[in-house]
Amino acid sequence: MKKLILTLAAIVLCGSMMAQNAKLPENVTLKTLDGKTVQSSVIQNDGKPIIISFWATWCKPCNKELDAIREVYEEWQDETGVKLVAISIDDARAASRVKPWVNGHEWEYEVYLDQNQDMKRAMNVVNVPHVFLLNGEGEIVWQHTTYTEGSEEELIELVRKVAKGEPIE
Amino acid sequence: MNKKLITLLALLASTALMPLMAQGIMGGHVTGNIQMDGQISHRDTTIGASEVPEKLLMNARADILYTNGDFSAGLRFEAYQHPMLGFNSQYKGQGLANYFVSYKTQDFGITAGYYYEQFGNGMVLRAYEDRYLGLDNALLGFNVYYRPWDGVTFKGLVGKQRVYWNIGEGLVRGLDAEVSLNDVVKRWSEATTRVTLGGSFVSKYEEDESIASTIPGYKLNLPKNVGAGAVRMDLAHGGFGLQAEYAMKGQDPNIMNDYIYKNGNALWVSASYSQKGLSANLQAKRVDNMGYKSVRSQTGEMLYINYIPAINKEQTYAFLTMYPYATQSTGEMGLQGDFMYKFKKETLLGGKYGTDLHINSSIITALDTTYLGGRGTNGYESSYFGTGELYYGDLTVEIAKKLSNNVKFAFTYGYVVFNPIVEGHEGDLHHNNVLVGDVTWKLNKHNVLRFEAEWMGSDSQYDKEVDDKRCGDWIMGLVEYNFAKSWFVSASDQYCYNDGVGNYYNLSVGYNKGAMRLQVGYGKQREGLLCIGGVCRQVPASNGLTFSLTHSF
Repeated sequence: MKKLILTLAAIVLCGSMMAQNAKLPENVTLKTLDGKTVQSSVIQNDGKPIIISFWATWCKPCNKELDAIREVYEEWQDETGVKLVAISIDDARAASRVKPWVNGHEWEYEVYLDQNQDMKRAMNVVNVPHVFLLNGEGEIVWQHTTYTEGSEEELIELVRKVAKGEPIE
Repeated sequence: MNKKLITLLALLASTALMPLMAQGIMGGHVTGNIQMDGQISHRDTTIGASEVPEKLLMNARADILYTNGDFSAGLRFEAYQHPMLGFNSQYKGQGLANYFVSYKTQDFGITAGYYYEQFGNGMVLRAYEDRYLGLDNALLGFNVYYRPWDGVTFKGLVGKQRVYWNIGEGLVRGLDAEVSLNDVVKRWSEATTRVTLGGSFVSKYEEDESIASTIPGYKLNLPKNVGAGAVRMDLAHGGFGLQAEYAMKGQDPNIMNDYIYKNGNALWVSASYSQKGLSANLQAKRVDNMGYKSVRSQTGEMLYINYIPAINKEQTYAFLTMYPYATQSTGEMGLQGDFMYKFKKETLLGGKYGTDLHINSSIITALDTTYLGGRGTNGYESSYFGTGELYYGDLTVEIAKKLSNNVKFAFTYGYVVFNPIVEGHEGDLHHNNVLVGDVTWKLNKHNVLRFEAEWMGSDSQYDKEVDDKRCGDWIMGLVEYNFAKSWFVSASDQYCYNDGVGNYYNLSVGYNKGAMRLQVGYGKQREGLLCIGGVCRQVPASNGLTFSLTHSF
């Protein structure tokens, strides 16, 4: 047991020492809502910030978060130029319901399907919701799991900083 | 390899990379995640929690991923000392559970080592993992893709599957092709109708073995190769969508179908329409003898090559998941309908902020079959559109409404009818009515309260013989308080009030910062099925302390 904990601690330590602004993985296969296979390099926003949100139809906090951001998304876009990319990890059980789900919820986000969870693994997502914030260079500058009412207000504060090119602690 | 060596290797691999990274010689990035779950459970006869001889049960894992341009490599270390309750005891141990190297570009990619893959909807091939179900059927071998033109993808793979700490004997080989017509046919590139077609073929090779036939002194003539194929389409036109996949499987006598020689087939169709604030979806599914494993004699949830999802909606409230449905891959038929509507703001039903209505219903039955014979025969005949006994049915109506800027309210009515044969034992159908109220109250920026109340009325009463601890009428209450940005505490109690087979209370506290989450809980857990995606795992009753730590970096 001691050895195991030591090993894990060593792994975490060296991992966190090196985790300086990893980039968004480029060659991971995703699907569009129209069924087309694309690579993750299609996720672009002309040098402006990107929010990546991993979600699933069965995940209540995920849906609450995306619903809450919907209310203010237009304002966010006007102010910072940010784009939200929602990546659904639903498997075959619900993947065909994602497109109607997105429309029914009036979400104006760019949505991809990650049925095989390749993107989820490539970005080390354990549980949903898991949100990443990318700066204009496509570097991951912040990440967060779980959603509580109102935490979107903290997210936009960070987006504003990133949009201005300010560093995030 | 012995355990010491593996631990040493994992350490070396991760530390060896560190100076290289720091000096920036190789460039690239190391990322990863860790998870540790622990449990201390005590005996409690009232809920059927038995004595656990080990003081502490713990599952732990760490994934380390190295990425440098088109190249990536990964390692996963897993430890089950000792496996938590509900996890298969064959997981006991620790070591390197997954490793791979891959090179991927826009047009071409190859992965060597362990990989996960899905063809189409997974009806003939899906190698995947679910850490909460303790399920991992990763393939060990090679996986390639090639995109000669935009919109055309070929995939090929060969490998053997992980089963706990071993590798299954069966060899799996597969090919898949997918074409987006709008990209390939120039004239259609701007068409409003988008069409994608695909097809896949999978073959499994396994050595012969001796399985007795029903005729004394004879053994079965088993096929060494079992093939399966599928065709699929995805059609989108504005708000309309139509998706379908049809799969077939050759003779595959195995322990799940009791060694019959009937061919398997499955059909899945989904049609939907949606526009802003409105969506409707109808799905139909028919599965006949489609259990497909890389080792014919393997029981349980491991070594599946394919994946047939349950067609009913994945419920989240506790009492709606009390009788969960698990896919019967040997044969079932099902329908699911889903409807969502947003009543606009400033209308009679919409009120000031609008109102969301969500209705979902599904029904699943057995196939209508005629018995032909047992082991070694074709088994049975089934009529394509005929239905057999009812397996499962449900209806949920959910209304969600924002009452003010700070208060949200959701009300759910659910009806579930459940046939215990799905869990492998005869018995009367259970009919349950469920009511759920869910209120979120945001006190101020960093303080949020959530209340949940549930009731379930059931026509099944507790029976000492069966000792199914779910039977009876239930009430539940839950309070959750989020505070100081990163903390939460919650308390809940589930109580069966007409026969008192159990009182299940739970207290938990959690801390969350960035991608790190720590949760500690104390209480009683009802025995039952934990289901994700229609795949279920039996979880025994437990009573005591649990903790969970996850972190991504």
